[in-house]
Amino acid sequence: MKVLMKPIEIIAWFKEESFPVPLRFRLDAEDKSKLVIKIDKILFQEEEKFGGNKMIVYRCEGIVQNINKIFEIKYDIATCRWFLFKI
Amino acid sequence: MSRIVFHIDVNSAYLSWEASSNLQMGSNIDLRDIPSIVGGDKEKRHGIVLAKSIPAKKYNIQTGESIYSALKKCPSLVIVPPHYERYMKASNAMVEFLNAYSPKIQRYSIDEVFMDYSHMDRPFMETAEEIRTNIKKELGFTVNIGIGPNKLLAKVASDFEKPDRIHTLFKDEIYEKMWPLPVEELFMVGSRTKKKLNDRGIFTIGQLANLDKGYIYSWLKKPGILIWEYANGIEETPVRIDSCPVKSVGNSTTLPFDVETKEEAYKVLLGISEMIGLRSRDLKMCGYVVSISIKNYLFFSYSHQKKLNVPTDSTNKIYYTAKKLFDDMWQKEPIRHFSINLSELVSSEFFQLSFLEPLDKKNSTLDKTIDKLRLKFGQNSIQRSCFLYSGIDPIIGGVVAEESYPMMSSIL
Repeated sequence: MKVLMKPIEIIAWFKEESFPVPLRFRLDAEDKSKLVIKIDKILFQEEEKFGGNKMIVYRCEGIVQNINKIFEIKYDIATCRWFLFKI
Repeated sequence: MSRIVFHIDVNSAYLSWEASSNLQMGSNIDLRDIPSIVGGDKEKRHGIVLAKSIPAKKYNIQTGESIYSALKKCPSLVIVPPHYERYMKASNAMVEFLNAYSPKIQRYSIDEVFMDYSHMDRPFMETAEEIRTNIKKELGFTVNIGIGPNKLLAKVASDFEKPDRIHTLFKDEIYEKMWPLPVEELFMVGSRTKKKLNDRGIFTIGQLANLDKGYIYSWLKKPGILIWEYANGIEETPVRIDSCPVKSVGNSTTLPFDVETKEEAYKVLLGISEMIGLRSRDLKMCGYVVSISIKNYLFFSYSHQKKLNVPTDSTNKIYYTAKKLFDDMWQKEPIRHFSINLSELVSSEFFQLSFLEPLDKKNSTLDKTIDKLRLKFGQNSIQRSCFLYSGIDPIIGGVVAEESYPMMSSIL
């Protein structure tokens, strides 16, 4: 996996208890078109507190351009932003 | 049973925190592994080294030296600007983490914490090891832990070998671990005291410790006794949970340009006065003595002070006094640095009034109203019109606006 740390647009499901669940996200593909990736499965999630900054890291599985891939996305709690961390 | 005190010290704090934050944001370079520094803005003339990485240390780069001279020593040096809110966050996270281990925690500065671990069931080495590894794993930075029977020895111990280490320094270890160290390594021995001690042939802590107590008192008086006790590992202050009482409120600034006119100087003084007024009112304290100090373009500094008849926390009163002091002392040369200090503090609830000066109730109501507005709508919600288009901030001083930032102190 390569580190990207690219900000993404996302649809997530915020539940009563537990972490928010990312459902699908959109990012700019190389040919400038928008690419929508559906998250099929969350393999695991964990809270990261590096330097006191809380982020939730999700390791996910989904189909990217017809290939089943594993990637990591991050939710920065302080700024409420989502990132595609690694793919 | 004797006490057990931990001193937890973050290794190159600002730099580590920048590094862990960068790693979290997906950077593939760890600043700790390359020659790098956290440094101020050269354009704003705050260009000094605030923290350095261990590889940068190898180039003999010192904390506090100018970025210009650091770059000369190592041209490939990576410089990152400071982010004080980040450090505050990291420091808070560390204190929160340590709260699980002991209720008695003293925040000594932004990156140093004392923790009382006396009378605990678990062996202290085991706990220290767990703290060290878990801070590294969870928070992403390394710490040095010093363990001793009091705060002083714990602090000395955490300074031994860095980074990511645990050291102990108990009374029976001071002969071999502390006494061979050069005398300037001792807490409270600065460059001046070092020179005095060196002049009489005292170069190590051991030599100082073995002096006769009466002799050191006749020579250096009370501070002498203090460092003699420190050299012998005697120090009994408890780990304070509450912060030390505030003795003075002061702020200073180095400007991006030299101030050459009276009008500009007044504005800077007003900006600093705003900050001091705000802080002293927040502490519910009034001060008797206003002192100001300026540093000119040749880096020569001088100061003046005045004792008031009635203690004050009023922005205007502080400003007028500072202005008068400034007029008395200024030699008309360009100035780069201003500072104002309010001391001899007393509670603002009860204090001695004077026949010679009426109490200005209207002004204090105004100050309170402005404070409330600033608290509710932000520091820049209300400002004096003279600052408009002046290029000078309406409130000057401090690193993190609106938050209290624990600074170093000479009181353990």
